[in-house]
Amino acid sequence: MRRTLNHHFLFALLISAILFTPAPAQKLNGHLSAPLKLTLPMKDGSTRFAVIGDTGSGTAQQREVGDMMIKYHALFPFEFVLMMGDNMYGGEAPQDFEKKFAEPYKELLNSKVKFYATLGNHDQALQVNYENFNMNGKEYYRFKKGNIAFYSLNSNYMEKKQVQWLEDELARETAEWKVMFFHHPPYSSAKKHGSDGQLREVVEPIFLKYGVDVVLTGHDHVYERMKPQKGIYYFVSGAGGKLRTGDIDRQSGITEKSYDRDMHFMLFEVAGDQMYFQAISRTGETIDSGVINRK
Amino acid sequence: MKKKRYIFIWVLVCLLILASGVAVGQKTQNAALAEPVVVSPADKAAIDVFEKQVKGYIELRNKVRANAPKLSKDSTPEQIHAYRTTLENSLRSARPNAKRGEFFLPATADFIRRTLKTEFQGKDRQELREQIFETETQGVVLKVNYPYAQTAEFSEMPATLLAKLPQLPKELRYRFVGRNMLLVDRESDLIVDFMPDALP
Repeated sequence: MRRTLNHHFLFALLISAILFTPAPAQKLNGHLSAPLKLTLPMKDGSTRFAVIGDTGSGTAQQREVGDMMIKYHALFPFEFVLMMGDNMYGGEAPQDFEKKFAEPYKELLNSKVKFYATLGNHDQALQVNYENFNMNGKEYYRFKKGNIAFYSLNSNYMEKKQVQWLEDELARETAEWKVMFFHHPPYSSAKKHGSDGQLREVVEPIFLKYGVDVVLTGHDHVYERMKPQKGIYYFVSGAGGKLRTGDIDRQSGITEKSYDRDMHFMLFEVAGDQMYFQAISRTGETIDSGVINRK
Repeated sequence: MKKKRYIFIWVLVCLLILASGVAVGQKTQNAALAEPVVVSPADKAAIDVFEKQVKGYIELRNKVRANAPKLSKDSTPEQIHAYRTTLENSLRSARPNAKRGEFFLPATADFIRRTLKTEFQGKDRQELREQIFETETQGVVLKVNYPYAQTAEFSEMPATLLAKLPQLPKELRYRFVGRNMLLVDRESDLIVDFMPDALP
């Protein structure tokens, strides 16, 4: 009996060791880092961009995510970065812009990578005028890259004018891909905030009516890719500078893939009717990857 | 005879279900673009007064803003800071006697309270309350002409709610702090007015 228990104990120990031992890592800048691995196809003429959310903490971890983005930029030269909001936590004096944005992404900015921001529930309205956020003085705006139209919405304040603007713009949209990005997630399995039902009630019918393909959000400090909801792909990428460990409700039934053990960023590549994506942790581990085929 | 009555009842039930489905569908599709709730002449008068006061504020604000440094669409953090500080100080000076209830007069406040109470019931009200109460607003001093604390979060204002409140120009925002509804200057974040017990 005692021997059986010992065997069970050893077996459990072995399984734990397999499960909780990190992948082979190398030490870079004093932090354990997984070998860089790109899953994106790097096709000629493709549109390449990155996604970060809830970044503006100004912490060492935010800078480490920034450092990892720089490493991946060398492998996969993305042209621009979408920011999911909460670009600045706890104050917006000039030194905050430096510490919470310009400094962590300095090398990317120097490499002429453009950042396109959206406003989160921690962001002052005047961020729309900041030169490096490329919001053109607007709380909601559209821009086009390749065959993709990007729409940044202000989900803090969805007033009539904004909803009408969205409808009008989408009604005359000619781009093949329609990608939305804003702060509050219509779908999320995180326990802290979770799905924003009030917002979803308003935006989802519009997204469905005009064939929106992908919705990128933040707010919950985790990574999550939803199972397609009514044919639309929803992502939560809200751990670029803050993390809520263990926040995912794995019983929600809407998750395809999730990660709440470390901070992360995402890379995207759009080539024709395919959108490839890769989510990467602060230490360089690939936590999700795949391809979305346009409807 | 009995069979016919059953069929009639079933048809009636099906029609009712269909009708309610259509009604719900319409609400979902148009919730954010819906017209404000039907108002009585007294409510309309209250809204008119509110809108007139808002217009007066914007006129004053435009005058004050003319003295602030210009802000372009690609400003530096220093320029943003200078603009915001000047605007905030100038607006405070321009309204030295500002006090609570100047915009949310009793009739306007009553209309807003009733609107929130009647338009948000059951699950909707619960969701709205949860959303507002989870907002971390520590540090906000509820005082007219005081800036909203930069360290505090903003409550998300649901589109369905904004569609039912008197419409505001882009310079002003509604915002919740607990059960209090605030009227806030968008760029300077000064509290222009607030009303207690707005949220049911």
